[in-house]
Amino acid sequence: METVIRGLLLYVFLMIIFRVSGKRTLYEATVFDFVLLLIIAETAEQALGGEDKSVTNSFLLIITLLLADISLSLLKQKFKYFGKVLDGVPVIILDDGKLLHDRLKKVRVDEADIMESARAMQGLERLDQIKYAILEKDGKITIIPKEQ
Amino acid sequence: MKKHRGELEIDEDIKLESANWKVQRVAWVLMVFVVMAALLGFTGNGGIGNLQRLKAGSSADGLEIEYERFLRRGAPAEIKVKLAPSPGDSLTNLRLNKDFYEKLHVERILPEPSEQFTHEQGITYRFASAKQPFLVIFYVKPDGMGSLPLQFSTSGKAVNITPFIYP
Repeated sequence: METVIRGLLLYVFLMIIFRVSGKRTLYEATVFDFVLLLIIAETAEQALGGEDKSVTNSFLLIITLLLADISLSLLKQKFKYFGKVLDGVPVIILDDGKLLHDRLKKVRVDEADIMESARAMQGLERLDQIKYAILEKDGKITIIPKEQ
Repeated sequence: MKKHRGELEIDEDIKLESANWKVQRVAWVLMVFVVMAALLGFTGNGGIGNLQRLKAGSSADGLEIEYERFLRRGAPAEIKVKLAPSPGDSLTNLRLNKDFYEKLHVERILPEPSEQFTHEQGITYRFASAKQPFLVIFYVKPDGMGSLPLQFSTSGKAVNITPFIYP
């Protein structure tokens, strides 16, 4: 029983903490974000398993976590608004060639991040070649170039 | 799906998102409070200035307990008990209530008691001493959760403490 409670508790805790940390926090923008993710995984592992190293325990834990994930995705499908609250929504941060500075500040993204995505995904050279930049739910920035 | 400027199909909901930004800022402040509480020892395992390390009873009365107010389930902790030797007997009794051995996993007692036995009220340890006040350290690992009322008693005196065990 304890394994199930541990699994669910950690699942909910991680979901809330990542949600309130913001989209960009653990998007692997820098090497350190990746290191941070590893450390968090290692820390969470201790709380999950406790001292019980049995196979039963790990099976139970995996099933619990997957079941939690499936239930949540079913709920999100049924109640769209719930899904939006849980996952967030995409945000336009560069609209028709103009940077939306107030939004950039709120989501902790700057011009350099937008240009990084523009180079990586579209091979663009300048900011004025971008028509729209969107911060997606998962923290990635997607770019739509201006038509030439 | 909504269209932005009549061309970009995007499910934007800026009202929801700005509410989310506000929630995030509040959560960051809460996270600061959690870290500060941890530094001050409110989540157990020590803390700045050892504020949560408490003493109960007094060594002048022959029984003093030093303990952490906040413990964590499964994390090692220690409880120090200062005892005066009992005048008549060669062994000094220390009686503890049932919760002590039911909800704490007693890993080690220093010095080892010469005798120990359980009874209806709890458990009694009998320590040999050099006829002067002495210190007993209990190394324990909490098993339960929540408030844990403990009673330490010798022949003449009883001291109650209530540490809290985090999950």
